[in-house]
Amino acid sequence: MDARLRRVNKEIADCKNDKSSRVTIDLVDDNPFHLIGAFDGPEDTPYEGGRFQVDIVIPDNYPFQPVKMKFITKVYHPNVSSASGAICLDILKDAWSPVLTLKSTLISLQSLLCSPEPRDPQDAEVAKHYMTSKSSFEETARYWTMIYAGGPGKDGAGKPGKDGARDEIAMAGLDRAHVDQFESLGFERSKVVRGPLFIQRGDVGSLRGGQIDVLRRMNYRGANVANINDDRVVEELLK
Amino acid sequence: MSSDYEISDEENGYYDEDEMEVDFDDESASEIEVDGIGDDFKVAVRRERKVYDVDFTSLSQPEIEKIMQTDVDHISGIFGVEPAVAAQLLRHMDWNKEKLIEKYMDNASSVAVAAGVELPPREPTPPPPKASSSRLSSTGPQRTTRRSTAEHSKSSPKSKRTTPPVEEPKEFVCPICFDDTQTEFMALICEHKFCASCWKEYITSKVRTEAECTITCMAEDCNIVALDPFVQKALGDDKETWERYQELLVRQFVSCIPHLKFCPYPSCTYTVSCPAAATKSSLVTIVPIVTCGASNTHVFCFGCPIDSDHRPVVCAVAKMWLQKCRDDSETANWIKSNTKECSKCQSTIEKNGGCNHMTCKKCKYEFCWVCMGPWSEHGTAWYSCNRYDEKASVDARDAQTRSRASLERYLHYYNRWANHEQSAKLSMELYVKTEKKMEEMQITSELTWIQVQFMKKALDVVFRCRMTLKWTYAMAYYLASGNDKELFEDNQRDLERAVEELSELIEAPIDPETIMTLRQKVTDKTVYVQKRNEIMLEDTAKGYLEGRWKWDVTVEGFESD
Ligand SMILES: [Zn+2]
Ligand SMILES: [Zn+2]
Ligand SMILES: [Zn+2]
Ligand SMILES: [Zn+2]
Ligand SMILES: [Zn+2]
Ligand SMILES: [Zn+2]
Repeated sequence: MDARLRRVNKEIADCKNDKSSRVTIDLVDDNPFHLIGAFDGPEDTPYEGGRFQVDIVIPDNYPFQPVKMKFITKVYHPNVSSASGAICLDILKDAWSPVLTLKSTLISLQSLLCSPEPRDPQDAEVAKHYMTSKSSFEETARYWTMIYAGGPGKDGAGKPGKDGARDEIAMAGLDRAHVDQFESLGFERSKVVRGPLFIQRGDVGSLRGGQIDVLRRMNYRGANVANINDDRVVEELLK
Repeated sequence: MSSDYEISDEENGYYDEDEMEVDFDDESASEIEVDGIGDDFKVAVRRERKVYDVDFTSLSQPEIEKIMQTDVDHISGIFGVEPAVAAQLLRHMDWNKEKLIEKYMDNASSVAVAAGVELPPREPTPPPPKASSSRLSSTGPQRTTRRSTAEHSKSSPKSKRTTPPVEEPKEFVCPICFDDTQTEFMALICEHKFCASCWKEYITSKVRTEAECTITCMAEDCNIVALDPFVQKALGDDKETWERYQELLVRQFVSCIPHLKFCPYPSCTYTVSCPAAATKSSLVTIVPIVTCGASNTHVFCFGCPIDSDHRPVVCAVAKMWLQKCRDDSETANWIKSNTKECSKCQSTIEKNGGCNHMTCKKCKYEFCWVCMGPWSEHGTAWYSCNRYDEKASVDARDAQTRSRASLERYLHYYNRWANHEQSAKLSMELYVKTEKKMEEMQITSELTWIQVQFMKKALDVVFRCRMTLKWTYAMAYYLASGNDKELFEDNQRDLERAVEELSELIEAPIDPETIMTLRQKVTDKTVYVQKRNEIMLEDTAKGYLEGRWKWDVTVEGFESD
C-alpha cells in the first residue's frame, strides 16, 4: 500500500478512536488526501463555545512536507486571515516535523487560538486591533464566534437583528458612536464636495459600509482614536 | 571617417579582429584565421583587459570542493573532530573560519549544540568545559551503539541519559510510516529512530523539493543535523540526489564567500571568483560582467542578479530601471485600456470623466464608452452601462493626470530600450537564417567556409551592441542633464546610427554576384561599429572611475547632490 495512504488512514482511525479531545477528521468526498478537521474553541477565550472547521490538504510527499491547513470557519484572530482563513503557524512551515500528525496539528491550531502572536501577524488589521485594545478585540472575536462558529452571544449586545442581519459595526470591531459621528459629518461634507455624485451612488446603507471599511482600515479604536485626525478620516471617506 | 577607426593589433574588441584586417585573397592567411576563430571563444576571457572589463576567474565544482576540503581539514585538525563534524560547524558559521575558531575556543559545547552536532545538555546544566581539551577527549572514534545504524562519533556518556532507556520492543514500528514490515532503522546521535525508508524519503524531499542541505532530525524540536556520511548512507543507491546534495553544499559555501558567485544559468555548476567586485562600494565604479568556464554564453553580472551584460549602466541603476519597468507597465497598460479609438475616424480618445457619453473631438461622433456603440441607440441621456464602475474611473483618471507627464518621458526611453531588446532577438533569428544561406553559398560559389564567416561575425556584433544600446537608454533616463549627459547621448547616437546601418547591410538579400562587395562593406562597418561600442563602454567606465556621472535620483552608493 502507498505509504502516504497508510499513514493517513492510520491517523484518521486513531482520531476516531480518541473521543476525549473532541477533534474530528472527516473525508470531504472519497479523496483521503482532502479532509476536514474540526475542534472546539478553547475555554476561557473569545472562541469558547464555537466549533471550528479546518480545510486539510495532504501534499504528495506527506509527512515529509507539512500538511496544508486553513480555517473554513471565519475566525477573528491576528494569525488567521479574516478573509481567506490562511494560518500563520511555524509548524505548518519550517518547524514541521514528520512525526507531527493531523490531530496534533489541529490541537496546535486550537492552542494558537489561546495564544495569539500579534507581532507575527497573518492579518495586520486584526493584529492592530488586538494591540490597540485587547478587550475590544475580544468582543469582536466573540461576536465572530457567535456568527460563524455557532458560539453563544453576549446578552443583548450584538445579537443578530430581527431579520437575521449581522451587525456590521460589531463585525468590524468599531464603536457605534464613532460611525454615527462620521456618518453625519461625512454625509454633509460629501454633499458639499461631490454634489450629486453620492446620491447617484446609492443609499445611505452603502455609504455606511464604506465608512465602516475606512474606520476599520484606519484602526479607529480605543486609544488610537486620539492619534487620528478627523480630517484624515474625512479625506479617506472622500476617496 | 572610418579611417579614424582603423584598428591595430592591440585593439581587440569582443572578438579577435585579425580576420578583419587580413587580405581575403591570400589563401595562406585564411588558413591561419581558421585557427584564430577556433580559439575566439576561449581567448575571449583572457584577452587584454579593457577599462570596462573586470578581472575574474572561473572555478569548477571540484575546484570549489577542494577549497572547502582544505577548510574542513584545517578545522578538523585544530578541533580534533571528525571531518564531517568540522564541515557542519563551518556551514553553521557560514564558513567564517576565524569566527568559528574564536567562538569554539570560547565555548565549544554551545557552538556544537547550535550547529546540531551535539545534544543540548540536560538540566542541571553541567559546568562548561574548562578547556577545549576536555572536549577533544570526548570525540573518540565512532562508537558502535546497540542500534548498529546509529551514526556519529559524538555520543558522549551524557547523551545516553537524554534518551530514556526505552526497552526496545521486539517489534519496533517506525513512528512515521507505521509500516511494520520495515526492518532497517537509523538514528542520529539523538537516537530518535526511524526506518531507513522514511529517512531516505525525508532527505530526498529536503534536498530535491526544498533545496535544503542542512537536514535536521525528523523528531519534533530535535536540532541534531544529519552529517554527510549519514546522508550518503541514507540515500543509498540514489546517486542523483546525493550529487544534488553535494551541489547544494557547494552553493551554500559559495553564497557565504563575498568574492564568489555561482553561475546563474540553469544546471550550470561553475563558480566565478571576482575579488574586485566583492564589496558593495566597488559597484559604484565598475560593472562586473563575468563569464563562467562552462560556456561563453553564460554571461552574467557578478554584482547583481541580472544574468546578462548590462554595461554600461551600474548595478544600482540597472536595478532601479528594471523595477520601474515593472511598476510602470501597469500605468502604461492603463493608458492603453483607457484610451480608445473612435470607431468612426480612428483618432485616439481618452476617457475624460464619469460620463459614458463620449463625443469624438475630431469628428463629433457620439458613442458609449462602455459598449462603443453609437450613443443614439442608448435612447436616453440617463443611460449608463452597468458594467461600468464609476469610482474606479475617477480614481484612475486622477492618477493618470498626475503621472502623464513623467510617463511620457519614461515611455520615450522605454520604447527605445524595448526596441533594441526586440531587435537583438530578431538578429539572433536572422543568425540562423544567415547560417543556412551561407552554407548554400559555399556549395554554389567559389567561397570558402572562412570567407562567409563575416556575416556571422557582423550579426554577433550587432547583437552585442544592441545590448549596450538597450542599457544606455536606462542610463540616460536617470542621468542628470548637463554637458556629461549630452556627450553620453552623442556617443549613444553615433553607436545607434552605426548599428542601424550595419543591420541594414546584413538584412540585404545576398547575391553571389555582389557578395565580395557586400563582404567588404559589412566587414568595414563591423569594425566601425565595434569601435563605436568600445568608445561608448570605455567612456562610461572611465566616467565611473572619475565620478563624472551624476544622477537625477538618489542612487545607492553615489553621493547625492
Ligand atoms: Zn518509516
Ligand atoms: Zn533527533
Ligand atoms: Zn555557467
Ligand atoms: Zn549588475
Ligand atoms: Zn471620430
Ligand atoms: Zn453602452
